[in-house]
Amino acid sequence: MSVAVVALVAWPLLRREEALPAPAPAADERRQVQEELDRTLAAINEMEFDRRAGNLSEEDHARLDAEERARAVELIRRRDELGEG
Amino acid sequence: MSLLGRATLLLALAAAVYAVVAALTSRTRGRRGWQESAERAVYGFCALMTIAIVTMWAALLTDQWDLRYVTGYSSSTLGARWKLSALWASQPGSLLLWAWLLSVFATVAVLLNRRRHRELMPVAVAVLMGIGAFFAFMLAFVTSPFETLAVVPANGSDLNPLLQNEYMVAHPPMLYLGYVALAVPFSFAVSALVTRRLDATWIAAVRRWTIFAWLFLGIGILLGARWAYEELGWGGYWAWDPVENAAFMPWLLATAFLHSVMVQERRGMLRVWNMVLVVLTFVFAVFGTFLTRSGIVASVHAFGESTLGPFFLAFIVIALVGPLALIVSRLPLLRSRHSLESFASREAVFLFNNLLLIGLTFATLWGTLYPVLTEAVTGDRITVGQGFYNTIALPIGVALLALTGVGPLIPWRKASLAQLKRRFTWPLAAAAAAAPLLLLTDAWDRWVVGAIACIAVFVLVSIAGEFWRGMKVRHALGGVSWPGALGQLVARNRRRYGGYIVHVGVVVLFIGLAGSRAFVTEGSLVLSPGERGTVGERTFVLEDTSRAVDPHKMSTAVRLGVYKDGEREATLAPGRNLYLASQQPSTEVAIDSSPTRDVYAVLVKLDERGQAVLSIFVNPLVMWLWISGLIIVGGGVVAAWPARRTARAPAEAPEGAERRATA
Repeated sequence: MSVAVVALVAWPLLRREEALPAPAPAADERRQVQEELDRTLAAINEMEFDRRAGNLSEEDHARLDAEERARAVELIRRRDELGEG
Repeated sequence: MSLLGRATLLLALAAAVYAVVAALTSRTRGRRGWQESAERAVYGFCALMTIAIVTMWAALLTDQWDLRYVTGYSSSTLGARWKLSALWASQPGSLLLWAWLLSVFATVAVLLNRRRHRELMPVAVAVLMGIGAFFAFMLAFVTSPFETLAVVPANGSDLNPLLQNEYMVAHPPMLYLGYVALAVPFSFAVSALVTRRLDATWIAAVRRWTIFAWLFLGIGILLGARWAYEELGWGGYWAWDPVENAAFMPWLLATAFLHSVMVQERRGMLRVWNMVLVVLTFVFAVFGTFLTRSGIVASVHAFGESTLGPFFLAFIVIALVGPLALIVSRLPLLRSRHSLESFASREAVFLFNNLLLIGLTFATLWGTLYPVLTEAVTGDRITVGQGFYNTIALPIGVALLALTGVGPLIPWRKASLAQLKRRFTWPLAAAAAAAPLLLLTDAWDRWVVGAIACIAVFVLVSIAGEFWRGMKVRHALGGVSWPGALGQLVARNRRRYGGYIVHVGVVVLFIGLAGSRAFVTEGSLVLSPGERGTVGERTFVLEDTSRAVDPHKMSTAVRLGVYKDGEREATLAPGRNLYLASQQPSTEVAIDSSPTRDVYAVLVKLDERGQAVLSIFVNPLVMWLWISGLIIVGGGVVAAWPARRTARAPAEAPEGAERRATA
């Protein structure tokens, strides 16, 4: 049992560095930006829903919506800069 | 079995320590293999803890009397399900369950996040396995469940009769699922602090874990209340016992976090506060384990004096001081994006809600620790009665209930007077209309209950209004039927509407609490066979007595006919058991439940001539407590259910967002 655990744990250290799955910082960052963008777009949708339901005044909606859209634009720009990954 | 158990615990400790070292080493550039190795050590830790817990269960099921644990908490005549539940009947077994659940959650957390949150994983793994190493060390060296006896007895001394109850099979594991799951948000929070990645990433990684933990803590608390109601025989379900408080405090803090995290997501505020809440929630979960296992408090649930206290205390100090120091050092990075613009805003309501929840948590903590501190200073042992807690919890609870209704009515950022008027009119009118209608019931016999009922109406109408407004928008948008609009509404924003369902459950909970605490009728009867006695509006007739013996216990019981207004209402059979191996007695309460009241009978004594001493309680609306639990769980499941993939094609994005970016 102990041999099996040691073998399982030690194996990645015995392989050459190149044989290990390479980290892809750009792909990771792109995925995070995409997730953040998804959340921002969801927030914009929810605010629109709240405006229609009367939960947000037109004035507040305009201000909050503008903030979130600016954030979405920035995130889309960052995502595009990071490429297809 | 002892050897296998001890060996796996030692190996598990080694795996956990190695995982910490490897995970931290992997943060150095050019050492990729170490992170994968650390992750594999987590899987190894999980496999070893699984072998350890299965070994313990096998020992309990096969009566391995050479193990001190099996001898102390089982017997040859104990049923199989009680033998399995004996694992959490005592200190070492409970810690083994804690460590095993942690190993499973750590494995799931690694599998779910190793690619998505790669940069957070090394420290998160190190923290999770640091916690795992602590518990493995306790199990291996301080309180081993695999300790053997020099002289092997012929039988065990049996499981405490109070624990031979169906609810005790489920209550501790549910509570532990909640306690232990809180380690995952804690580990990601610490990782975010260490790596300075304090954007929304860590919040996304921990939110669902916190809902999961909150849900299971809540289920555990309710099952514990049901156990106390059925097993302890005093007619109630909650006594502000220190160990009940130990589960209640992290649940309150998790509730606060689940509300305040919405403010961070929507407005970029309360970022420091949310960090502090995640840390405190986990620390209170460990503190709960400490309270039950250290023996510092006297409780029906506690496991008596032990040597664990100093170890747990040191662990709690490290888990509290380390992250708080990190938070202080990262304050510039945790600055809020916005500030509170108005007290008439949803973020202000969430803030008040948080302050009330924190206030109740620390009042409960004070009441729980006051006897310990007093004893440490003066040497006198005192108890803090229910009166202290009720005096504090009642106004805070009522204020929280009211905020449950106010929250959905107030928009984010700032509410105008016209908006407030429009939104509050219907709920306030409904509450005002309910006040005179409640005169038809007993509610105004206690003004607090009448007030709670009015606030409950206010909250229910407020939530119904929120559903109605949402359904109108969906109906208008999609051309769907009204039921379809309701389904779409909930499916498209599960967290929000699941939360509202939880709030409906909270209203029902308050109705159950108010009714069952304020209008109890109780009395004692001494009856011989054929005699009758009266408690409140009901007459009780002792119709029969019985005695039975099986290999495990001796049972006595009586049959009571219950009459109201001359009509037979129910038959109750309260009893008492004497467990042969342990020679311990237990009461078997009889309850006749209906939506309006529980008739609750306890057999205090049955003498040789068949004369029975009985305690009778008529508790109104108790059933609604358990129904509220089902509603809250249902709402929690809706809120926690994974949303459909939120990534959308540009065409699905809100109008203009993608277009402007690509222009």
